[in-house]
Formats: sequence, C-alpha cells, structure tokens
Amino acid sequence: MTVTLTDKQAKTSARRTARTRDRRRRRRGPAAYAVLLGLAALAGIVLIPFVVVVLNALKTPAEYSEKGPLAIPDSPSLEALGQFWDRVGFGGVLVNSFLISGSVAVLAVLLSVLNAYALGIGRIRGRTSILVLLLMANTLPQEALVYPLYYLAKQVGLYDTRLAVVIVFTVIQSAFGTYLLSSVLSTFPRPLLEAARIDGASRWQILWRVVFPVLRPTMSVLMVFFFIWTWNEFLIPLVFLVSNDNQTVSVALGVLQGQRLMDATMSSAAALLGLIPTVLFFLIFQRTLSRGLTAGAIK
Amino acid sequence: MIRARRGAALLAALATASLTLSACGGDDGGAAGKELRLWHYESPDSAMGVAWNQAIEEFKSTHPGVKVTFEEKGFEQIQKTAQMVLNSKDAPDVLEYNKGNATTGLLSKQGLLEDLTPEVTKRGWDKMIAPGVQVTAKYDAKGTMGGDKWFGVPNYAEYLQVYYNKDLFEKHGVKIPTTYDELVSAMDAFVGKGVTPFTNAGSEYMAHQFVYQLALDKADRPWVDAYQRYTTKANLTDQAWTAGATTFADWVRKGYVAKNSVGLKAEDAGVAFISGKFPMMFSGSWWFGRVAKNAKFQWETAPWPGAKLTLGSGGNHWVVPKGSKNKQLAYDFIDITMKKKAQNALGNGGGVPVAADASAITDAKAKKLISDFDALAKSDGLAYYPDWPVPGFYDKWVAAGQKLMNGTAPAEVLGGLQKDYDGGAPK
Repeated sequence: MTVTLTDKQAKTSARRTARTRDRRRRRRGPAAYAVLLGLAALAGIVLIPFVVVVLNALKTPAEYSEKGPLAIPDSPSLEALGQFWDRVGFGGVLVNSFLISGSVAVLAVLLSVLNAYALGIGRIRGRTSILVLLLMANTLPQEALVYPLYYLAKQVGLYDTRLAVVIVFTVIQSAFGTYLLSSVLSTFPRPLLEAARIDGASRWQILWRVVFPVLRPTMSVLMVFFFIWTWNEFLIPLVFLVSNDNQTVSVALGVLQGQRLMDATMSSAAALLGLIPTVLFFLIFQRTLSRGLTAGAIK
Repeated sequence: MIRARRGAALLAALATASLTLSACGGDDGGAAGKELRLWHYESPDSAMGVAWNQAIEEFKSTHPGVKVTFEEKGFEQIQKTAQMVLNSKDAPDVLEYNKGNATTGLLSKQGLLEDLTPEVTKRGWDKMIAPGVQVTAKYDAKGTMGGDKWFGVPNYAEYLQVYYNKDLFEKHGVKIPTTYDELVSAMDAFVGKGVTPFTNAGSEYMAHQFVYQLALDKADRPWVDAYQRYTTKANLTDQAWTAGATTFADWVRKGYVAKNSVGLKAEDAGVAFISGKFPMMFSGSWWFGRVAKNAKFQWETAPWPGAKLTLGSGGNHWVVPKGSKNKQLAYDFIDITMKKKAQNALGNGGGVPVAADASAITDAKAKKLISDFDALAKSDGLAYYPDWPVPGFYDKWVAAGQKLMNGTAPAEVLGGLQKDYDGGAPK
C-alpha cells in the first residue's frame, strides 16, 4: 500500500516539476525516468499478491472453480467476507489482537528503554556480552522456545490466557529493542548528560527529562514495529491461545486450512480482513516510520 | 509536555489492560455433568460439518440442561497443539482428531486418550463399522494402528476413486473404462486427440498416490500389511513397487499425466478438473462435495478400474481426552453421531458415512459413492496411504514422485525410499 502511495506521489510530483520548471528538466535526464519506471514496475510486482487476494476474496467458490484464481470476478460479492467474519467471530478476534499487540508494543518499548539506559548510558560491566547474548536469543527459532514456554505457562497457571502471550512477546521484542536502543544510546551526546548532572538531576530524572525526549522518535518507530510484528505472530499464539475466545487474527485465519482442501475464496477473504488492520496502522504511523531510526542530536 | 503526558496515560492504560487480561482468561473448571466441550475442524458446509451440527442440536434436545460449547478449530492447530492441549486442564471433552500412528497412536501411547473399548462394545459401535475401517481407530500398546484397543470412533471414511468428465469422454468418443487395459486404451485415445487424460499435482499427494495404486495393482493384502503395519519386513524394491514406479514414469513419458504438473498443488489439479480441462482425476472422496457443487459438466465416479486394493481408510475420528471431565456426555454425543440420522445426513452431504442406511441416501451419485466404498470395505480392499508408515514420509514421497516425473531411474527412487522407511519404521 505504502509503495503505491509514494509511487503515486512520486509520479504526480514528477509531472508537476516537468510541467512548471523547465530548468529542472535538464537535470532530470532519461536515467531518472528509467529509475522511476523501474520503481513503478517494482511497486506493481509487490502489489501482485495483494491484487490476487482481493480478486479471490470477491469471487464466489463456483466462479473460482470454473475460471481459476486469476480471473476478474464477474459480479464481486462480499459474501465470503461476511461469512468468515461470522464464522470466527472476527470482532472479538480483532479486539484480542489489538490488546495483545498494543500491550506488547508499549511494554516492550518501555522495557527496552530501561535496559538500554543501563547498557548504553549506565555502561554497566559486561554490556557487550549482554548485548551479544540478546542478539543470539533473537536468532533462536520460536519452535525451540515453544515447549519450555508451554511448561512454564502451565506451571504458573497462565496457559490459555492472553497475558501469557503478552509477557512472552514483551520479552522477545524487547531483546531486539534493547539491542537497538543501547547502540543508539551509546552514541548519546555526553555533554547533555553532564549538563543535566551538574544541574543536579538524578539518574531517574536524566532518563525521563533528558534521554526520553531525545529518544522519542526512535521509540515510536520501535513501537510501530513491535505492534506489527506481534500482530503477525502465529506459532506462539497458536499454542498458547487454546480457546477460540482468546484467539488472535493470525490464528483465526488458520481455521480455514483443511487437511486436504482449502477454501480459496474464503481464505482470501480472511487474508484481506487480517491484512487491513495492519495496513491501516501502517498508514497512520507512516510519518513516524519515515522519520527513521536515528535519534536527534544536540541542537 | 502535554503530549508526553498523554502518551504516558495511554501507556498506563494499555499496561493495566494487559494485566487485567489474565482475569478474563481463567476457566470455570468444575462444571462436571453440565457442559460438553466439543472441538472439530470441519467447515460448516462440509458433509461432516452439516451432520455434526445436526447432532449437536439433537444432543441438546436429549440432554436438556447441558450446555454445549462447540469451537471450530483449524486442522493445523489441532495437528500442532493437540498434545499440549490434552496435557493441560483446558482439554475439551470430545474432539475430532487425526487418525494414524503419529497422531492418535502417539497420544494413546502417552496416555492422553481414553481407551474407548468398553463403550464401543457396550454401545455396539464395533458392529456398525466395517473391519477395514476399524483399523485406523484401534491401536496397540506401541501406538501402532490395527491394535486391539479403540481410541477413536470414526464417523466417516474416505477412499480414492476416478472422477470422470463424461462430456469430454463423449466429445472425443472414448468409452469410460472398467478394466485396467481399457483405461490404458482410453488414455491412448485421449493422447491421440491431444488431450492429457489425468490431472495431476507433483508437489502434493496426487503423484505418489498414482505410484501406490499402480503398485497395489500387482500386490495383495499381506504386502499391504507388511508395508503399513510392519507384520513382515517390507521390501520397497520388490516386483510390485518396481512395477508401480516404472509404470508411473512410463505414464509421464507417454503423456498420460502432464510432465509440467510436477510443480502443481492438489488444489490446482482439482480446480483444473472441475473447470473441465481434464477428462479424469484420480483422487479422494474429499473432493466429491466440491465437484458436485461446482462442476458444470456431466460426471461420475468409480473406483480405480479393475482394482482389488485401492487407497482408502477410515476418516478422522472422535477421541475422548483422558482429562475430560464429562466422559459420559462425550460418549452420548458420539453415540448420536453414529445413529442412522446423523450418518444419513453425512451421506447426503457428499461424505462417506460408516454406518448409513443406503435407502435413505437420495442423491444417485452419493449413493454410488457409498456403495462403491461399502463393496471395497467388504472385500477388504482398503490399502491406506503410502505416506503413513513412517513419520515425515509424506515429504519423502512427494520428492520421490517428482523425481520419477523428472526422469530419475525408478530403482534409484525406490532405493532411497527404502532407506527412509527402514530408518523410520519401528524396530
């Protein structure tokens, strides 16, 4: 989605420049247009799967069987979308996903900041080895974590609760967050900290009054990432959220996968429904994201 | 500063929300005798889904005061998490579970499933289910199917058959075959007209099911038992297997199945048949409902021409977890699904019921589907599926089918399979 938007913007702005400013035109040689064309083609290719999903979501099963996945639907119907919504109780599922992803995004960022403050600014001993450890933990496949986590959750009575998933993902995501934020903070301008300390700020005050505001853009980016990553998680929610009442969007989509048959039109409808929230979220926070991952400096 | 404070408020709200979540997730536990928790993974409009919905309604009317909590699950979810769920206090009272040594067999060995034998004999389910279908419901102490203890109760069965597009047969003046030789000459006729006779999918089950069927044409019951139930040592390079693999490779060369189907999925192959591109499809009864609903041409089904043994078995079955708090209710529910009413609904929906009343099936095609199956079950003609004996064998078989299609020598392919089989089969 974003790709098309920027692409469209690029195209219109390119046209406008071409029309109004002749001086600029000389500088935009054929190479620039070739690049633009290439990017447009690339954006088109990126969009193909999305288009196929939309096409099939709007088809009836009979039409799908007769004409195949790539045909344009004759009379687009929203029947499959409605059916899927009712079948899995999509409203409740959406609420679950929002609660889990939202909580994880906030809590994981908070945890990352606290960790990173100790590692990046506090410069505690052995911070490199801690970071390496976190990075290694990040590369661990979730399949390896599932069984130990399952036993832990069962022991503390959190199996089949959303809280279990929130805790697990807060920790998993904050491993990456800690790594990223501590490298940002290790280049934090020292004069700023020293000035605060001379003014008599405590460590806690330095974190909230000095570091936090400077870090905010990076944190918002992280929060958006954590939200989307957690939203798309499949395996751990699948294992931990047993009751249908606790399920998340990605798990609910799995209901449609049969042993030997798949309901292609309904799967597409489901995929579309599952996709829309993340796309919306992405669009809303697009500016936050494009601000990039770099923290501000002394200015 | 105002913005920052608002952010902090949001943060606090979300944090509290996440902490209160655990309160909603708790279970209410001791509702023994008052609630039946039921899981299955059939879609609501499939034959099983329809029949079971009716069964739930009937259960409610015969058990007033009992709450039925039904949850529709995904096949994959059950496949991946059954062991963990059944080992916790969140296990349902009755659920549909996959037959086979690696699923029901394994869990029965681990003591997670209730032994249903006393109920089965008490309620007479063993008399309703044909012996060939029972095999996948009964397991021995090692968790191998075909044992003496019932751990599952199948409502339906499944088997492979040939789907014929009668319009295409008529258009090209070909007779629908009833013997293997007629099948070969029919395929020659189609190839002569430039039509590929069989739809096929190399990257899923279809290709290797051809190989197994072609081997079964040269095999007998002890051969199947050796391969599937380890009664004697199976030799995958014997005459029957060699014939199967060689014939299939031959078929690809002669164009009976398209060489470029090597990368196709079963879904693609099925859709291609339903859209009328191929005269024949050799696949399972699980396609029946879909073909019936969506095919726009005249069609019929029949077992593999001249086959004494063909691919098929009991379907997935009801199991009762050891941790179920309402076993009696679970048995009552299973009993309703085994009654004529539910069984007939299953048959009329396009499924293959295990104990239906043939006269109550109204649709002629469904009637033939069921009577063909009954004949096979009666003559002990169900040979299961080639990927069953060894865990993880399915992927090996898919690769083997693709190798055969790509021209690897049959002996080499079978030799590789033998190694995998010997490595995975119980000693």
